[in-house]
Amino acid sequence: MVGIDEFFKGQHTGKQPSKARATGTSRKRKEQPVNSASNPINLEDSEDEHTLEAKKPSNQLKAGVSVEIVDEEPQPRKRQRATAPAPKAKASSPKKSPKSKIQSAEAGTAEALLSQIPSVDLDAVHVKETAQFDFRSNGNAGDSSQAAAEEANFPEGAPNCLLGLTIVFTGQLPTIERGVAEAIAKRYGARVTKSISSKTSVVVLGDEAGPKKLEKIKQLKIKAIDEDGFKQLVAGMPEEGGDGSAAEKARQKLKQQEEKAQKDAAEMIKVEEEQREKARRVQSKANTADKREPVREEDKLWTVKYAPTSLQHICGNKTSVNKLKTWLSNWRTYQKQGFKNAGRDGFGVFRAAMVYGPPGIGKTTAAHLAAKELGYDILERNASDVRSKSLLNAGVKNALDNTSVVGFFKSKHDGDVNQKNFVIIMDEVDGMSGGDRGGVGQMAQFCRKSSMPMILICNERNSPKMRPFDRVCLDIQFRRPDPTSIKARLMTVAVREKFQLDPNIIDKLVEATRGDIRQLINLLSTISTTTKKIGHENAQEIAKAWEKNIALKPFDIAHKLFDGRIYSDVGSKSFPLYKKIELYFDDFDFAPLMIQENYLQTRPSVLKPGQSHLAAVADAAESISQGDLVERKIRSSEQLWSLLPFHAIMSSVRPASKVAGQMAGRINFTSWLGQNSKMGKYYRLLQEIQYHTRLSTSTDKLGLRMDYMPTMKKRLLDPLVERGNDAVPEVIQTMDDYYLSKEDWDSIMEFMIGSDKTDLQIKKIPTAVKSGFTRKYNSMVHPVAIYKTGSTTAVGAKPAATPDFEDIVDADDNVPPADEDEESKEDTDFKKDKLIKQGKPKVASKRAGSTAKKSAAAKKRKTK
Amino acid sequence: MSANALKLELPWVEKYRPHLLKDIVGNEETITRLQQIAQDGNMPHLIISGLPGIGKTTSVSCLAHELLGNAYSQAVLELNASDDRGIDVVRNQIKQFAQKKCSLPPGRHKIVILDEADSMTAGAQQALRRTMEIYSNTTRFAFACNQSNKIIEPLQSRCAILRYSKLQDDQVLRRLLEVIQAENVQYTNDGLEAIIFTAEGDMRQALNNLQSTVAGYGLVNGENVFKIVDSPHPLIVKRMLLAPSLDESLALFKELWNKGYSAVDIVTTCFRVTKNLDEIKEAVRLEMIREIGFAHMRILEGVGTYLQLAGMLAKISKVRGL
Ligand SMILES: Nc1ncnc2c1ncn2[C@@H]1O[C@H](COP(=O)(O)OP(=O)(O)OP(=O)(O)O)[C@@H](O)[C@H]1O
Ligand SMILES: Nc1ncnc2c1ncn2[C@@H]1O[C@H](COP(=O)(O)OP(=O)(O)O)[C@@H](O)[C@H]1O
Ligand SMILES: [Mg+2]
Ligand SMILES: [Mg+2]
Repeated sequence: MVGIDEFFKGQHTGKQPSKARATGTSRKRKEQPVNSASNPINLEDSEDEHTLEAKKPSNQLKAGVSVEIVDEEPQPRKRQRATAPAPKAKASSPKKSPKSKIQSAEAGTAEALLSQIPSVDLDAVHVKETAQFDFRSNGNAGDSSQAAAEEANFPEGAPNCLLGLTIVFTGQLPTIERGVAEAIAKRYGARVTKSISSKTSVVVLGDEAGPKKLEKIKQLKIKAIDEDGFKQLVAGMPEEGGDGSAAEKARQKLKQQEEKAQKDAAEMIKVEEEQREKARRVQSKANTADKREPVREEDKLWTVKYAPTSLQHICGNKTSVNKLKTWLSNWRTYQKQGFKNAGRDGFGVFRAAMVYGPPGIGKTTAAHLAAKELGYDILERNASDVRSKSLLNAGVKNALDNTSVVGFFKSKHDGDVNQKNFVIIMDEVDGMSGGDRGGVGQMAQFCRKSSMPMILICNERNSPKMRPFDRVCLDIQFRRPDPTSIKARLMTVAVREKFQLDPNIIDKLVEATRGDIRQLINLLSTISTTTKKIGHENAQEIAKAWEKNIALKPFDIAHKLFDGRIYSDVGSKSFPLYKKIELYFDDFDFAPLMIQENYLQTRPSVLKPGQSHLAAVADAAESISQGDLVERKIRSSEQLWSLLPFHAIMSSVRPASKVAGQMAGRINFTSWLGQNSKMGKYYRLLQEIQYHTRLSTSTDKLGLRMDYMPTMKKRLLDPLVERGNDAVPEVIQTMDDYYLSKEDWDSIMEFMIGSDKTDLQIKKIPTAVKSGFTRKYNSMVHPVAIYKTGSTTAVGAKPAATPDFEDIVDADDNVPPADEDEESKEDTDFKKDKLIKQGKPKVASKRAGSTAKKSAAAKKRKTK
Repeated sequence: MSANALKLELPWVEKYRPHLLKDIVGNEETITRLQQIAQDGNMPHLIISGLPGIGKTTSVSCLAHELLGNAYSQAVLELNASDDRGIDVVRNQIKQFAQKKCSLPPGRHKIVILDEADSMTAGAQQALRRTMEIYSNTTRFAFACNQSNKIIEPLQSRCAILRYSKLQDDQVLRRLLEVIQAENVQYTNDGLEAIIFTAEGDMRQALNNLQSTVAGYGLVNGENVFKIVDSPHPLIVKRMLLAPSLDESLALFKELWNKGYSAVDIVTTCFRVTKNLDEIKEAVRLEMIREIGFAHMRILEGVGTYLQLAGMLAKISKVRGL
């Protein structure tokens, strides 16, 4: 039973600490960095290599690994020397470099060291299996270290020791996975590329390397080494890549990067100073204002402290930010023209803009900064305010009409209100909930009439709830920024907070947080609470600590579960089933998703005799799907949490046990989250189309997608492709027959997959035809389906607003969104008892010119 | 001992709820981080997620106490699932609390603790978004929940997410021994073993079972514990699972069934035993667990019959190749 007996034995004999039991490698590994963290202190005083090794059992083990492998090679002595001093080099910080010189004197540059490492005999690369055996027996001899990631068994190198080298890995390395090896190389600052070129400094060859690659190596006369050679390289190279010219260059580049970060940081400090100065002045002026002293910088959240202070500082989404700024800066001009003149960019008809995108990428920030930079004052409403129809009416409308603003703002700005320009920021519009009955419709109304610029912000533009804002707002999409644009920002933060951030790890973090900058900054701040104490002297240390951090955990779990060695007879003794289950419990939200994402990417080593890879994958897939059945029981309303251990088996351990082996590529972060939200989006689009077509179709959503849509596409797109302008009336007629709007046309095209995929076809249509189509469509009056549930007479029959009803109004199959209903009530004149109304000609004609551009833009957004 | 058992007293889970972060066992890394925060101040918004009974609520309240000391009563707003946390409360009570002025030492902030936050409606969570940002200079939020994915993404984005992993058996044991010493409980090793076996990393359950056993029998030994938790003895179940033939296995099962153990208790014990059944190869065990798990699922759906379990045993013996 879980080895408790054993524990008790310890308890009874001599109060042995629980460590003896070695629960879970994870715990064990946790302790390691602490050990080595305290070690550098010891090392400083000890010149003696033997004491050094005695004090560092873990490193001794590592050295042991390489020594043993090396024994079969021609010159064991030399290698041993190359690896043994490695810990020392690692521990020494720049100041102490003389010591590491002792060993690196013979190999100061990468070239020199490489020349000492034997090249692989290119003609004999295929026969090489002994090393693997060595490793296994070694792993078993040691405690449960077998299950520890290969990376841990890899010799330590000096920080950035591979700087300036361009390394190509090819073939299957004997003891470590290629992905891991690449990660190691990157961690030490090397550039890792996939293809061999003249720039390649060294190739690390494994089994079954492609013949083409071998050819190329020979041709270009590139140094080829094996895994052991690579280990030596890492262990032997001095800090910062030695004295080679390539290393020098790379160093300079890094330095530039760092200098930039430093500069940014300095600038930030300056700006902050100025602001504080200003704030102080303002405060002393407003003597009646509260006497609270300003908040200390170090008491602020990092996200606040490092919030961008000008629009330029917002990472990524440059075009969207500019769009917002342009629109806002020209707003007065648009107003003078009565919002009739769309202008070249088509912004001119909008009184409101809708900024949307996933959380934490700078929407709110951008809106506020844009307003500030253009000299507007901000009136903000957000989800923490009640925004029901009546309250909105009372509150915002007053402000809008600019009459009684004084009363509205009395507390804050007395006196000069009427000279101020206001911009209204409606944040978190999709956060309006059941309690804000009618709010969305009302807000859309404001957007049509507002005499002040309005910026609306939401996460999900496509949700049916947001439908009332179609065509009344300028849509501005914010996307998840890419790693490079975030990197600079994070580096700046790191410099300011004085902790070292390994740029190579940022990519992974960005992936794990899906580009959420706020989350990233939060993550940094959390991790730095403990790791900055370890100090900025040693990047390695911190990189280690990082690897265990919260967001990277899922990678670790997948990595361990897919390790074929823990499923062998021996392996399942040293890493028993309950420990595998515990891996799942380390993060039971993500573990199953990570397994599902990566189970196709292994080279199974656990196949039964005669079993094919495909059969193993099928087994795993079956298990995953059965795991989903279990999960539904757990997460549904039934909440059967007692099934969780069973879920662990079915969703993670069992599928992994079927295909475990070596990873064929790097482990990917789960794409399920993204796919799932995409699916949600498509469902909403489909629902929309179904609402519209309901009057002339007789099917459900699925039927619409499966049976109608392919034909619709044929009728809506193919004529345009084949006959161009001539086909426009016909297409529009079809659209009207089915009550499809132009947006629906776009959506339908987006739905097509496989050979029906439309983007190429759409590209083939001449722009003239496309814009002609849009213009024509907008100039006409179209029938619009109004959807109501229940009886048509029941305009007010919606269940009386229950004040306590809190869930966000989710449109499900039968209930059209309340807000839409509400909105249609607004213009009661023409729809009291009809299901069909003639569209709003006003709006359509006003927008005639602009929509062409807009829909083009919309299309661009959608095809992305 | 018996006098002790008769006394009316606080549940031990409450009596021995740690008051300092350092007394919380398990999840050392995260706890160290929290201790550092307690020392330095400037607590970020937090989400702590993990299984029940592993110290989430405890950690949050320890942290708040350590940060705020005597100011706790005025500077902390604590709301859990039993409080009304609808959108109105968020918009009124919480927002007002966030606006409230409160003189605290530098680096300290007011704290809003929202326990079991996954039971909050999406609307209420939405309403927290800007409040968390606008008042972040004076007020910080701490959420505790079982599933972090029940918290809407924008809130997750605003928080540092700490995931607690399951407590290890020796960690549970450590705490149990502390309590045992404080309460002067008589115990045997197999008794503790049984408590840990049945608690499966849930400290709350472990303490409750310990207290019940002490209250019921005085002595904590394996037999008493299994009586209290009303589950079959794992040794019998083990024999049942390892029986050389299906007939023998069924005979043992019948014995258990006639003793009155419920289907759920039998099947969960089967699961736990199989997990650590070193006599059988792991690959085979995984197949056995599959059968046991599906039987468990069907039993939870309401089909907790004799036949169901007998069927399970038959399938298991097939998997074992008998
Ligand atoms: N593009 C960015 N560049 C720099 N910092 C950013 C960026 N995006 C987010 N941040 C950081 O995250 C914080 C929050 O950003 P912001 O409030 O703009 O998010 P948001 O997009 O409005 O998210 P939500 O949808 O959750 O409201 C900022 O204060 C800043 O520190
Ligand atoms: N890690 C732990 N260390 C010490 N005691 C714990 C721990 N986890 C739980 N407990 C005990 O269990 C009880 C319940 O813990 P609690 O923090 O409320 O769990 P939850 O994670 O469900 O919020 C506490 O009163 C405490 O006695
Ligand atoms: Mg925001
Ligand atoms: Mg709790």
